[in-house]
Amino acid sequence: MIQSNAIQSSAIQSKASDPGDLKEAKLPRRDWILLPLLSLLTIGIIAVSTELIARRMFTEWVSGTERCKVSSDPLTGVERISSCVYWGKEFESQPTEYHFNSSGYRDDVEFGAKSPGTYRIALVGSSVGAGGGTPSAKTFAVTLPAELSERTGHAVELYNEAIPGVPGLPQSLALRFKDVLATQPDLVLWVLTRWDVKEASSALPGPEAPVEHPAVGGEAWPRVKEDLARGAIRDAASGLWGLVRGLLASTKQAFQDSRTAFLLQHDLYGSQSVYVKYSLSGPDEFAGYLRAEPSAEWQSRLRAFDVYVANIQAQAQAAGVTLAVVLVPSRPQAAMISMGDWPAGFDPYTLDDELRSIVVSHGATYIDIFPGFRDIPNPEQYYFAVDGHPSPDGQAIISRLLAAGLSGGAVPALKAATAPQAAWMRAR
Amino acid sequence: MDAGEITMDAASFQFVAFGLGVALLSNLSRSHVWRSIVLLLASIAFLGLVGHSPHVFLPLAGFLLLGYGGLVLLEYGSSRLMVWTILAVIFVYIWLKKYTFLPEGSFLHFPYLTLGLSYIFFRVLHLLIETGDGDEKRHIRPGAYLLYTLNFTTLVSGPIQRYDEFARDQFARDPIVLGPRTIGLQLERIVRGFFKVNVLAMLLHAVHEDALSQMAQPLPTGLKLYAAFRLAVVYPLFLYANFSGYIDIVIALARLMRVRLPENFDRPFAASSVLDFWNKWHMTLSNWLKTYVYNPLLLALMRRISSRAMQPLLGVFCFFVTFFLIGVWHGRTSEFVIFGVLTGGGMSINKLWQLELTRAMGRKGYRALAEKPVYVAFGRGLNFVWFAFTLFWFWGNWNKIDSVFAALSFVQWLGVWLAAWLAATAVLALWEWLRARLLSIRTSAGPVLSSRYAGVVYASALGLAALVMSVLLNQAAPDIVYKAF
Repeated sequence: MIQSNAIQSSAIQSKASDPGDLKEAKLPRRDWILLPLLSLLTIGIIAVSTELIARRMFTEWVSGTERCKVSSDPLTGVERISSCVYWGKEFESQPTEYHFNSSGYRDDVEFGAKSPGTYRIALVGSSVGAGGGTPSAKTFAVTLPAELSERTGHAVELYNEAIPGVPGLPQSLALRFKDVLATQPDLVLWVLTRWDVKEASSALPGPEAPVEHPAVGGEAWPRVKEDLARGAIRDAASGLWGLVRGLLASTKQAFQDSRTAFLLQHDLYGSQSVYVKYSLSGPDEFAGYLRAEPSAEWQSRLRAFDVYVANIQAQAQAAGVTLAVVLVPSRPQAAMISMGDWPAGFDPYTLDDELRSIVVSHGATYIDIFPGFRDIPNPEQYYFAVDGHPSPDGQAIISRLLAAGLSGGAVPALKAATAPQAAWMRAR
Repeated sequence: MDAGEITMDAASFQFVAFGLGVALLSNLSRSHVWRSIVLLLASIAFLGLVGHSPHVFLPLAGFLLLGYGGLVLLEYGSSRLMVWTILAVIFVYIWLKKYTFLPEGSFLHFPYLTLGLSYIFFRVLHLLIETGDGDEKRHIRPGAYLLYTLNFTTLVSGPIQRYDEFARDQFARDPIVLGPRTIGLQLERIVRGFFKVNVLAMLLHAVHEDALSQMAQPLPTGLKLYAAFRLAVVYPLFLYANFSGYIDIVIALARLMRVRLPENFDRPFAASSVLDFWNKWHMTLSNWLKTYVYNPLLLALMRRISSRAMQPLLGVFCFFVTFFLIGVWHGRTSEFVIFGVLTGGGMSINKLWQLELTRAMGRKGYRALAEKPVYVAFGRGLNFVWFAFTLFWFWGNWNKIDSVFAALSFVQWLGVWLAAWLAATAVLALWEWLRARLLSIRTSAGPVLSSRYAGVVYASALGLAALVMSVLLNQAAPDIVYKAF
């Protein structure tokens, strides 16, 4: 053993975590049962009470849909509702009134003939355009015409023909675009999200296919017993491992579907850095569009999207209608743009750039609102944290940026006479 | 880093599982030979999982060889070579760590592993000094040397353990006891450490990152002041959770292998002065430097300067040098020189303050003042805020520091630090009061809160939280800050 010198002996002597006695007092027998029970009880109480609190905090419901007319869209085969008013609340939204007109769109007015001198915009797209979770009066579909009228001095009206879900996808839009043109718009404003692009390469759904669940417990266990009985140890071990993995996966899934998980996500995603890190660590399906170089899968989606843009622009052009396309940044994109800094290999502008290049190549107009998010502190707070859709405040921001973009010269008929160009429009 | 990647150099599930597996294997036999073989193989496997090709280990192997060569020379009586051997080890360490004051062209230009090099450096220097100075020469075999320097529980971030303490437990023929009580306590400690790193530190880091990002955004002044306040006060808490959490895990893992590691933290934010703080924060590092820098330097100066009036000032100077070195050790760039100056400066000023008050009030008067609760509370707050201030040069580079300070005026920053001082004073005082109150609830066996029943409840709750967070965020465990040093 090395000897300590005189100076250091007292100073460096460290405090050990325990004396390491050669004997340890015996644990009372009751503790072998009491301590595990106490642990389980603690976990149970915390889990149940958190779930109950989360269920009180986050509720969702729909009422009044029984009065809605449900019909199958002859062009896309998807069921749509029309001619009704119902109320709905999603986990993070306030109770919201949804008014569907007889054409099956979330619009307070019935579509009709155009008044002379009025510039009509048909808004198409999916849930962001339809304003899910936002009262109608606060959706940008309602506020945008007023902002444009103020900027341009012309009467501007907007028909909201965006439909949430599959009917709003590019492939559905291409099929029902004649209906859109039938409302006699001067401009079709196509509001896109990354979801529209992601789903552009998927086929429209037919009848619902049965979902296959992995064999857990009931089916897998007898198989393991059979393998054991006939001495096939390797098969039994493999079956047992599969059983364990299945149980773990279903437990994880059950937790992720719980309201506790929702509550925690809602709070955690309030942090810009946690949310961006979480978003970037996702699989390609969810994070691929944030990469500086789109993956092969995303390139294939962009190619599929390109075909629909070509189709829709051709129809618009034939009808003499201007097609303007805008991509609304997703929540992670908005956060990254405002941070102005992101990890190597990622770029929030990638999808925006790709879409611009596709849209412009077909002769349509691209409205770029991404740079506008740079000047908004923590813009992700204007989206529902878990759901990811813009909140009412987010809808107001989109309305403002769209009004600036449309009246900034991209659409000559809407060019503002005197309004100064916003700083974000001059440079990225 | 991908979520699915093996992260052994962090407080990850993989690391904990690896450590528990090794502890289990190690306890298959009480023989010290068996336990040493298991530890050596585990440490080699650990390194293999951290570095992915053999050539990345070459510089580390060279450094270890240099240290062992020096040790053998000193063991065989060449004590006169001690200074040169130590200087050679220090130089090679600085060179391998690529300190920026060395010419860029002199460095090795291939990727190599420096993980744990700092902690190996302290252990090697400790062996060299003790062997060179020791009256009784003992031979340390290569196997024991490798076990001591590469021990996977202390490799990444310490704690810096003395060789004799390590050898006492690792090579004991009758190893220290490991019964159900001890196992339970260590498992609880692992859970606590895991929670600290993977939940608490992660959340605090997020608050810090968000505040940093907000300082660069066009916010109203009120919100910017609030961001600056969070930026100022959160980092010390993050660093504590991150570092002490990892230390909790490794101390517990080592104990499960029947080795007692030294404690590295002793409730540092309860310290009411900067001097006291460094007795409670990263204790093994500050003890090492006090032993091998402060004491010898003070003795040497006292031998040369015999004036009694000067002696207290010599202590002040030695404190500055020692804690300046602590600061500089943390990094290779000029920011850490400032960190060192501030750390050493804080210690010296604190010492001068003590000397001045003692001179003015007398020893008794000063002691009475230092025991007054209000003095202690404000001292605690001031120490916390001073540490938080110095850490700006610890977490930030010059660009970040410049932009953060430029975001507010001098007066606004002064207000932020004053608010931080008052807030830290109030919160820490409240915490200490609450802690004392809770610990005063006792049974005949001691405080209820430190009973094994309370421990199980506490660990179960923290374990559940850590598990839930890991599943939910699907992210790799955050890096241990001190592994970079």
